[in-house]
Amino acid sequence: MIRFDDVSKRYPGGHEALKQVSFELEKGEMAFLTGRSGAGKSTLLKLIMLTEELNQGQILVSGRNINRLPARQVPYYRRRIGVVFQDHQLLFDRSVFDNVMLPLQIEGYDRYEAARRVRAALDKVGLLDKEKLNPITLSGGEQQRVGIARAVVNRPQILLADEPTGNLDPELAAEIMVLFEQFNQVGVCMLIASHDLSLITRLKHRMLTLEQGRLIKDEHQPSRRGTAP
Amino acid sequence: MTARTNTRSNSKVSLSASQRWFAWLTLHRDCAVDALRRLWQQPASSAMTLAVIAIALLLPALLYVTGKNLSQFDSSLAQANLVTAYLQADTNADTVSELQQRLANHERVSDTRYISPEQAAADFAEWSGLGDVVDTLAENPLPASVVVQLADTRFETAEQLQALLSDEPAVAFVQMDQAWLQRLDSFLNLTRRAVLALIAVLSLAVLFITGNSIRTSIASREAEIRVMNLIGATRAFMARPFLYTGLWYGLLGGALAWLMLALLMLILRGPASQLLAYYGAQYQLLGMGVTASAVLLGGSAALGWLGARLSVSRHFSKF
Repeated sequence: MIRFDDVSKRYPGGHEALKQVSFELEKGEMAFLTGRSGAGKSTLLKLIMLTEELNQGQILVSGRNINRLPARQVPYYRRRIGVVFQDHQLLFDRSVFDNVMLPLQIEGYDRYEAARRVRAALDKVGLLDKEKLNPITLSGGEQQRVGIARAVVNRPQILLADEPTGNLDPELAAEIMVLFEQFNQVGVCMLIASHDLSLITRLKHRMLTLEQGRLIKDEHQPSRRGTAP
Repeated sequence: MTARTNTRSNSKVSLSASQRWFAWLTLHRDCAVDALRRLWQQPASSAMTLAVIAIALLLPALLYVTGKNLSQFDSSLAQANLVTAYLQADTNADTVSELQQRLANHERVSDTRYISPEQAAADFAEWSGLGDVVDTLAENPLPASVVVQLADTRFETAEQLQALLSDEPAVAFVQMDQAWLQRLDSFLNLTRRAVLALIAVLSLAVLFITGNSIRTSIASREAEIRVMNLIGATRAFMARPFLYTGLWYGLLGGALAWLMLALLMLILRGPASQLLAYYGAQYQLLGMGVTASAVLLGGSAALGWLGARLSVSRHFSKF
């Protein structure tokens, strides 16, 4: 689904954010991307979203080299990837409902079909009763769940999350992770960047560890293997 | 590969082509309505922008109406656009009618009229009020003449006819008022040029005004554009609200200019008709007319849209 071949990224100014990173995520796989801040987690996600360009190597998504994608194809490519941001990137000039509606509006959905899907997504994150509120009135955890509903509303095959629990207390963070696992169970390929080791080691998924731009560890289901009877 | 087909069938759902088309139309309508609503929500700054656009458009519109009213006089002056050929004293009637015949066949001549010496004397007596003096003269000193009515007001035509008539053996002297013809001609040319130059300069002004207003609204919606870009909005989709805003600015600015002009005409109507009455009943104060009004509104809407477009292509580059 997502494959990195020898990918390097150097920012203008010389900082080398990623050095020869290679890995592959299968369809329907769930993985955590971890490492200290500045290790290159955000950069890696930005390369997949095509908001940054790599300097070396190639990235294949669904078998397609995304760095050869013509500029006018990029928006259509991005619609197939759901993204959850640490600061959720919600718009406070419209309701929860309209925030979740945005990706469908962009795709030109019929409004009844769109409304049905928005409600389904809000139901999944448990916020159906708050659709009319402005997201600014919601708690941090609720705001993040609105962000997740927006990321999954057009049923992407891939979901990326950049520190989705960074601003949340442990209990809420755990709830968000449960939500992610539910999406993974219906076949969505997930890559979640997080430095919250205590949380993610408890969950039994693949873990990619970055250090100063290098992929130093790629543990497949570490805990499960460790605790197997 | 299967993943891709899955995704595609996902995003296209089960919508038919006509449903897509309808959704697209709805999107545009919503976009236009939303743009108007946003203008309404910031009445002070919108009104300011609209007023500046309207004033910029009012100037050429005003000059156009002035020119239109002046050209009323131009066409009636064309009626008085005459060349007079005074004939030799001994010219007989056959020569005169033969000359008139030839002149009538000339393509730049619309009419000819013969004035006999007796008629000329009677006209002079009436016009000058010196009838008694004329009567005391033993002999009529006035020559016969042929008055030639030209088909247009161009100076070259008058010159051409003068040359033609001077070569006639029966013609003693040709008289025409060249100076005013030339002056009127160049004055009308000047007005036309001035209107065109003003339109060009002020169109540029309208472009800059809308462009600048759109720049501010892009800046105020930066967060929204950033998010939409991240979740896969095309540039056309992100630009659309701003293009509609520009369109509204242009259209409403044009409408405001039209209203201001109409108001001005209303104020001027009374004194203007008094003034025009001196020149004859056929003159009246003319307004923009339907075609020019349509050009004003359509042109200003197009300018607003273009200004927004320029601004968008300049300020979207950072996203």
